[in-house]
Amino acid sequence: MTVSINSEKCGNIANCPGEGLCIKLCEQGALIDDNGNLIVVDENCDDCDLCIANCPNQAITKG
Amino acid sequence: MVSIIRKGVENRKLVHKNERCVGCGICSETCPTSALNLGPVLPIARGLLEMDYIKINDKNCVLCGLCSFACPFEAIVFNINGDEAKDFQNYPNWDDGTQIDKNECIFCGKCENNCPRDAIIINRQLPDVKDLVRGEAKTENDKCINCKICEEMCPSDAITIETDVTNINATEILIDENKCIYCKICQRACPENAIKIFCTTCMNSDDIPKVEITGDIFLDEDICINCSWCEHVCPTNAVTTVKPFEGEIFRRDDVEEDLICKGDSCHACLDVCPCNAVEIINNKSSINPDFCVLCGACQKACPQNILEVKRTSMKLNNIKSEAWQNILGSIIGK
Repeated sequence: MTVSINSEKCGNIANCPGEGLCIKLCEQGALIDDNGNLIVVDENCDDCDLCIANCPNQAITKG
Repeated sequence: MVSIIRKGVENRKLVHKNERCVGCGICSETCPTSALNLGPVLPIARGLLEMDYIKINDKNCVLCGLCSFACPFEAIVFNINGDEAKDFQNYPNWDDGTQIDKNECIFCGKCENNCPRDAIIINRQLPDVKDLVRGEAKTENDKCINCKICEEMCPSDAITIETDVTNINATEILIDENKCIYCKICQRACPENAIKIFCTTCMNSDDIPKVEITGDIFLDEDICINCSWCEHVCPTNAVTTVKPFEGEIFRRDDVEEDLICKGDSCHACLDVCPCNAVEIINNKSSINPDFCVLCGACQKACPQNILEVKRTSMKLNNIKSEAWQNILGSIIGK
């Protein structure tokens, strides 16, 4: 299982109060900045849920 | 630092000192008006967000002061008419603390190096090397060819070769008697036999006084969180620590199979722990109860929600009113 991003809640990196906090928190490289867009790299995700717990917009969920 | 001030019959003031705060959230759980909010502990601890751990909503705060007494780390200071309320007889007080017996301290510095809060400062006076050795160094400056092999090899950094203005010829071999330990490295390395060392340290060992290290040790009680690292590493048992809570902390994934600690991928607990009590061993969080103060910051930061703090008693005493006993008692689940 990996994580999915609710694009309506996320608002991308430019509008994130944490300036892409999930990307900074994920040390597995499962969340990356692709020209200002947040991309999930499924195969790198270890299901630690740090991004889910800390997203300021509550835009990240399981599955 | 956030301050809330209001003037009425009494002038009351509440100040949150973020440098003392560990992000445990005990204050926000205690606040009867939900005026305190714990921020995102992990991103703050990792330095990803620049903000205080606690946000105080001044519209909700009624300046009752409960949070300041609930905080075991004195991170919230509550003043009434200019005086700190914790010094008042009728208010609760924490009886935890750390004492260092200066007479037992040998100024080894282990506590200073291990203190996770940098709350200990040691200032020690070491004896001069020359008082601990005996010997004599003789040099023949006219034999010196300025190769500087002695200067380079001296383990005590005691040798300097003075040269003339051309910087080609040596004029003097200077051996600093405050640094020389008469080890004879220079004598053996010198290709021209320009240095002779006579070591009499062993011969005169009875005359060399036993070393006594003097100094001073300072514990900053404002920063100290009574984690007891100092007590555990002190080789002379000079430290006594009383922790704020008794109880236990455990990982629920040890007993519940569907829960998994993500260890090295996550290490949120390690990053937020103010006591350096957490290690990741074999890809699992391992919390050393010796150093844990049961603050619960890790419990808040754990994204898997698998850490559980169970406090059984606390060193908060002198709680006079029943209402305050109930609300402050909730810190230990009573």
